[in-house]
Formats: sequence, C-alpha cells, structure tokens
Amino acid sequence: MFKYVTTAALSAVLATAAMADGSKVGLVPGGPHPFFADWEPGGLAAQKDFGLEAGDFKVPQKWELNLQNDLLLSMVVQGYDAFVVHPGDPVGSAPTLNEIVGTGSPVVIASACLKDPSDVAFCIATEARDSAYRGTKKLIESMGDGPKKIVHFAGWLVEPNTQLRIEGVERAVAEHDSVEIFQVIADIDAPEPAEEKISAYMAAYGSETDGIITTGWVPTVVAANALRKDGSKRIKMVGIDHDPVVVQAIKDGYVVGSMLQNPYGQSYIAAFAADRLRSGCSVKDDAPFTAHPLTARFIDSGAPYLHAGNVEDRAAVDEAMTKELLSTFEETYLDC
Amino acid sequence: MVCIIATIIISLKSPAFFSALNGQVLLEAISINILIALSQMVIIGVGQMNLSVGAIGGFAAISFAGMMEVWGISAPVAAGLAIAIGVLAGSLNGIFIVWTGVSAFVVTLATLAIFKGLNLAITEAQPFYNIPAEVGAFGNTTFFGPLPWILIPALTIVVCVNFMFNRMPLGRKLLAVGANSHAAKLSGINVSHVIIVAHCISGFLAATAGIALVARLQLGQPTIGDDWLIMSFAAPVIGGAILAGGHVSTVATVFGVIIVALITQGLVLFKVDPYLVQVVLGALILAAVGFNRWKDIQTAKTKPGMHSG
Amino acid sequence: MFATSEKYREFGREGATDWLKRIALSNEFGLFALIVVAVLVFSSLASGFLSNFNLYLLGRIIAVNTMIGFSMMVVLVTGGLNLAVGAIGVCVAMTCGWLIEDIGLPWYIAIALAIVVGAGLGAINGLLVVWSGLHSFIITLATMSIFFGGMIFLTRAESFREMPGVFTDFSRLKFFGSVSAMLIPTCIVAVLLGILYRLTRTGKEMLAAGAQPAAAEQSGLRVKKLFVLCHVLSGAVAGCAGLMLLARNGAAIPAMAGNLGQDWLLIAFLGPVLGGAVLLGGYVSVLGAFLGATLVSVLSNGLLLIQVGEFWVQACLGLMLLLAVVLDKVRRLFVEN
Repeated sequence: MFKYVTTAALSAVLATAAMADGSKVGLVPGGPHPFFADWEPGGLAAQKDFGLEAGDFKVPQKWELNLQNDLLLSMVVQGYDAFVVHPGDPVGSAPTLNEIVGTGSPVVIASACLKDPSDVAFCIATEARDSAYRGTKKLIESMGDGPKKIVHFAGWLVEPNTQLRIEGVERAVAEHDSVEIFQVIADIDAPEPAEEKISAYMAAYGSETDGIITTGWVPTVVAANALRKDGSKRIKMVGIDHDPVVVQAIKDGYVVGSMLQNPYGQSYIAAFAADRLRSGCSVKDDAPFTAHPLTARFIDSGAPYLHAGNVEDRAAVDEAMTKELLSTFEETYLDC
Repeated sequence: MVCIIATIIISLKSPAFFSALNGQVLLEAISINILIALSQMVIIGVGQMNLSVGAIGGFAAISFAGMMEVWGISAPVAAGLAIAIGVLAGSLNGIFIVWTGVSAFVVTLATLAIFKGLNLAITEAQPFYNIPAEVGAFGNTTFFGPLPWILIPALTIVVCVNFMFNRMPLGRKLLAVGANSHAAKLSGINVSHVIIVAHCISGFLAATAGIALVARLQLGQPTIGDDWLIMSFAAPVIGGAILAGGHVSTVATVFGVIIVALITQGLVLFKVDPYLVQVVLGALILAAVGFNRWKDIQTAKTKPGMHSG
Repeated sequence: MFATSEKYREFGREGATDWLKRIALSNEFGLFALIVVAVLVFSSLASGFLSNFNLYLLGRIIAVNTMIGFSMMVVLVTGGLNLAVGAIGVCVAMTCGWLIEDIGLPWYIAIALAIVVGAGLGAINGLLVVWSGLHSFIITLATMSIFFGGMIFLTRAESFREMPGVFTDFSRLKFFGSVSAMLIPTCIVAVLLGILYRLTRTGKEMLAAGAQPAAAEQSGLRVKKLFVLCHVLSGAVAGCAGLMLLARNGAAIPAMAGNLGQDWLLIAFLGPVLGGAVLLGGYVSVLGAFLGATLVSVLSNGLLLIQVGEFWVQACLGLMLLLAVVLDKVRRLFVEN
C-alpha cells in the first residue's frame, strides 16, 4: 500500500509537470499582512488573463520563516510548479527556494528581494532604500526652509529592508544642512508597540518635531491617526503604502503623501513571468536589470508618490504602471 | 517604591515627562495593560496559566469591530456581545480543564491556536477599518485635562477585582484553590466550579482589553493580542505574584504594569539606540524585580529584629 | 494524559497483564497510537503525504522540533522554565556564523565553540535564578530580551551567509531517499539525555532535586548546582537546535526564530508537555518529548497537505490537540476498566 501510494503520488507530480499548458502558480507571502491584500486579486487576474491552471494565494499563518518554508515545500508536494514568493528572509529563504528550483519549478521573487547568490529567476519590487530616500526628499520639500527636525518611525529591525530604509532617510537628510534626524524609532510594525511608542514620542517631543517620515505599514497608520488627533497640520508627514487610513489622511490634508509599492502589479507580473519561465522561457542574459543593494537581477516596479493631487485615483495609478511594465516585459526580460 | 524612583529619574532627565499629554499617553497605555495583566492574574491566583489571554482578547476585538462593520450593530451592543464571546471562550477553557483533568497549560495552548485560528479565518489577516467615530473618540479623548476615558472602565475593574479578592467569598475560594486545591476540596469548596468561574473572569477581562484596544487604535487589527502573553505574566510576577498560585495582589500587579509602562516610555524619552532597546528593557526588568526581591529580603531581616526589640 | 503517568513509573512486582496495562496506559503508547491514527488519516486524504519527498521533509521538521522540545524539557525537570531558548538558539547560530565568516575558524571548531557559548548563556540564566531566588520565568523573560537584543546590537541584524557547503549539504542529505540526516543529531542528543536520566547519578539527582527541592537539599544534594547544570544543558541543547536551523537555512540569520526568539516557545513546550513532562518538575520522558514533537509536526504538515485553507490550519491544529487530549482520556478510562 505504501509503495502504491508513493508511486501514485510521484506519477501525479510527473503528470502535472509534463503538461505543457498553464502552470499551477502558487503565490506565497512571508506572512499575513495587509500589504498582501492585493496579491490575491493579482494572482487571480493573472490566472484568468494568462490561462494558468491556478493562481493561488497561500499565506503562512504567521511571519515565521520556518512556517513559510514548510508551506512552500508542502505546495511542491501538492503539485504546484511555479512560484511567486515574498521571501521571509532575504538570506534564510534561499536554500528552500533553491531546493524548489531544483525540482524544476521556477521561482520569481516579488515585493522584496533575495540576496545573491541564489537560483531564483529575478525579483520584482520597489527599491526600499531609494523609496525612503525619495519620500524623505518630498518631506523636506514640504516642510519649507529653515532648520527642521524630523523623526523616523521604522519597521522590524530583523527585516533587512528596515536597514536600507534607515540608510535612505539618512542619505536624504545628509543632503540638507538645515534638517536633522531627531530620533529613529524602530521595531514597531505591530499596532500595540507602534501606538505605545509613537504616542509616547508625540507627547514628549511632538512640539519640537517638524516632520515625520514613516517606512513601515503600521507605523504609518498609527502616525497618521496621531496627526489627525493632533489636528493642527503643523507637523508634515510622508508615509508608505496605501492603507485606507493613510489614503483618507492624505485626502484630508493631515498627511502630505505616501510612497506606494504596487503589490497588485508586482504579483500579477510575477505570476505571468513564473508561468512563462515554466513553459520554457528563460531570463535573458543581457536583460536590463536595475541596480539593487541585494541582487543583480532586480526589476524596479516603480514607487509612485501618492499625494493630494492623485489620491483620488490610486487604483488607476497602479494599473497604468502595471500595464506599462507588462506591455514590454516579455521582450525586455525573457527569451522564449 | 521602584515606580517613584523610576519617575524621578525619568523626569529629571526629561522635563517633557510631566506634560499633560504625556500623562495621558501613559495612562492610556496603563489602562489597557492593567486589564491584560489582571486577566492573567486571576488564573495565576488559582495556580494555573492561561496562555490564551491574547487569543481571547484578539478574538473579542475583531468580533467587536467586525460586528459593527459587517452587521452594522451599534457599539454598545457589539461590545456586550464581544464580552459575551470572551466569557464564553474563558468558560470553554475552564470546562475543558475541569472535564479532562489535563493541565491548564496544554488546554489553553490548544485553545490559543483555536481562537487565534478563528480570528485569522474570519479576518484573513485583514483589519476591519470602519470603526464608528464615537468608539474612536472613547479611546482617544480625555476629561479633566489628561485623564483618558478608558481609564474609567479600567479603574472600575481594578476596584472590582481588588474587592473580589479581598472581601468576597469567591476571591477567597479562588486563592484557596490556588494554594492547595486538595485542601480546598476537603473544606467543602466546589473546586471545578471555582476554576471555571476564574476562567470566565479571565475571558471577560481579556475581552475588555481587546475592545479597549480597538477603541484606542481605531482599527480591528487581527494581530491584537499577539504579544500580550509575556506582558500578562511579567506585570503580576514583577508585582510579586507566585506562579504556584494562592497569592496574588491586585495593587502590586497595577504597580507591575506601571513599572513596565514607565520603562517603555523611558526608552523612548531617552532616545535609546533602537538596536539597544531590547537589551535595556531586559536589564531594567531584571533590575526592577531584583530590587523588589532585595527589599523583601531586607524587610524579612529587620522584622524579627523589630519583634525582639 | 500528561500528569498521571508518573504514577506508573515505579516498577512493582505485577503480573503480565498489569505490565501490559501499564504500557497501554503510558503516555508514550498514547502518543504513538495518536501518531499512527494521524498518519493513516492523512495518507488516505492527501496522496502526497507518504511520498518520499514529504517523508524527508517531515523528518527534517521533526528533528528540529524535537531538539527545541529537549532544550525546554531539561529545564522543566527543575520545575522552572526557560523562555530564552529561542534567543539562545539564535545567539549560538550567530556566534557560529561569526566564527566561521569573520574569524575564519574551521566549521567543526566553530560549532563546538558556539555550543559552549550556548551553555554559557544557559549558565547565566541558571546562576541568576539560583542567586536571586526569583522564578525562572521572570529571569529568562529578561535574559531573553538581553541576549537577543545584545545579538541584534552586535550584528546590526546582519546575517552571516558565507557558510561552508557542509551545512546545507548536511540538511539536504537523505538516506533511502526519505530519511533526513537531520534526525541524526536529534537521535544522538535523545540517547545521551536518556542515558543521563536513567543511568547516571547526576541525572537521577536532577530529577530528585526537581521533584522536591527542599527534601533533596536536606538529603545532601547540591540542588543549586544541579539547577544551574540543567540551565547549562538547556543552553547547549538550544544551541544545537539553532545550529540545525543554521544548516537548514544555509546561513545564520537573526530572524530565524522570530522577534526575541519567541517563535520557538510554543513548540518548545508542546513536545515535552504532550510527552508527559510535569510542569512542577521532577519527571520527564525523552521518548515522550520526541513523540509529542512528532505528533505536532505530523499534524501541522498533514493539515497543510490536505488543503484545509491555510487560515484554518491553526484552528484545526488547536482542535486536534484538544481532540488528542480527549481521546487520551477515553483511552485511559477504557484501559483502566
């Protein structure tokens, strides 16, 4: 019986692999997070538009590298043969993903990057350091002239993007003599610590602060609420991502703007690419990849700046970028 | 004692500490954490552990937010139902522990997974956003200057719990069961009944904390409750509760909560290097409990002396 | 299932039926039966469950989970606990990474030194607990924060990834196409712990001291020294688990056990407690801890494979644990009558 089951499973796996048409694409983020709400429609749209056998969005129950690894490998057992992954860790995810690539299933990294060297195809994401840099520039611009103090609310320190973002903010501030970083508060990408520390900061130093830059989803939401509560609109703020709270705060003028990451487009294009790679395409040797601190195979999905001027049609901004990227994607990056 | 020293040190270093706004922020944090700590303290009192406080609190929180957003139920009714869910969850814990005779640790570990799992299954990890303005106002406005409104339910509950442990037969029964359940049984206490009631109270308190947090965050976040566990134990234990049960003090637990809140706030006010925050936090907790312990030993030493003299 | 087994551990002069009954009543048997049931259910529901590839994956998960369980178990003996297992595990892995990448030591020396560091961190826990007389809960809560924070401060949360291939090769090594080599260190540690508690004086003294510290002290045991030793052991075993994850990830990364190493806590308690360890101290079962960790690993892996919807996995896991508890009670009632 044991042998029978094993053979049956193996032949089932082989049978799916041999099928030339639509891939069974699995989209797996590092864990549950509101950022990935747009991944599910992205995968489904890709399934419909490109005739995939599946475009399933599967979330590890918690942000835990081992849970994600276990989920990914169990999906290989279930017959998924192409993957779009947001790596739980840019280094620690590599062996598992290499193992998956070793079974013949291509892996495309989306919304973050895996550190070189690895066997994955490429990553499609927003450059975290550059986005933080540009966000800070926008903030400095909005504060006007004169000596200014800004505070930086950042995400988890164990997440390497946080390090890049701290650097990005520092670089932007270094270009302006009159602006200084008053404080960096990190490790607050969860509602309770964020609420506690941001309230404490605002209570103690709010009156001395001229600007807030946030580079994590939750800190952005909490800081936007804190500014709404304050109500004076004296402190300027630039955030990250598109949480409804932040979008509303931009509409109402409490927040100057936000750096978007376009998770919908990233997952949609990554699913498309993963399918093409499984059905025989390969990544071009001379593909015009952009520079990235972690990897040499990076495709910038763009980081549009959301502000009072374009806040009404955020979806359109995302969609336009996605369309533009997709229209030239295959001929730019793939050999089919 | 530790609280006073900590307050003095912090205020010397940073005059902003005494501003009204800062007082409000501190009180808000303390109000909610007290509920969490008491929710655990009741169970510590009967000599057990409730690992599912965070899961119950989070489940009540998203039920509260979800009922208002999806079914359009008014805030007070939703809060009542959410608290009922919390009590029900707590009673399930208690009933299972009594019925199977398995350690509370294992049962609440299992229910932790169940309640958290239900939370994720319902929300799919997406927060509920449409929290009515009056709920947000309750969590974020003040009266008499810096006193936040959520202080009122928290204070009421502290007084009630304190009253229960010190004046009511139920409180004495709880502690009797915690100290020695066998002896309690012999003296005619219905141990099963007491344990179930303790878990109901714990569920009630956890649910209240969850609801208060929704009001404060103005969000029905599925992650609410994820990191309550350590805090829920730390405050009562810093306050001198014995994990073996039978001895808890509401007032000391409140001070435990205040110490933790002061430490957290001090770390922000002193602009500690973000990479060092964890180290300093740990060292300060050690220092706080160490100081308490040292003080106990000192008083224990001087007491016999006083008797003889 | 969990607390009662100690009643049955004394060997008496019973007949053969009593002996069978005792086996049937033991935790280990109950867990084994539950594992068999779980495997049968999952293999009939998910075709890939018994495939070579999945068995190999399962072996790897069980190996790490069991090792984490052991690191908690050796402290549960004292009636205390060690919340810092995850933090110590990560610190050890990072130390090993640092020794190899920055100092350039050969991997076997780095591994040995790193485990010594783990034992040292465990010793700090043990000494603090014994000196202060405070509950190990609060001590290890604080040191968890200190150890992890110190590691983050020293490494700036940067990973060490220039690990020699021997680590990843080891984690991918399999025998007979389905048995992961990661099980080897776990089995070695299991056998050593078994010998410690069954055959050596120190081990027996640890159990005696944990069961009744005051009585043990009076009968001349150096309880404090024994407790420190338990914490040292816990640190070393947590270090082994950290190194296994290092091999698994091919790099030493600060995030591998979550913030503060908290991700290990659940599994660290589940294995030994399901396996019959008494939280008040004095009794442990190495085999039970192994079977407990195996049961949890099989359940979570199986639930992923039968596609219950990943958001329901956790709820199902909790329900199955409760079910396991109830089934065990039924089994006990049935056998006793």
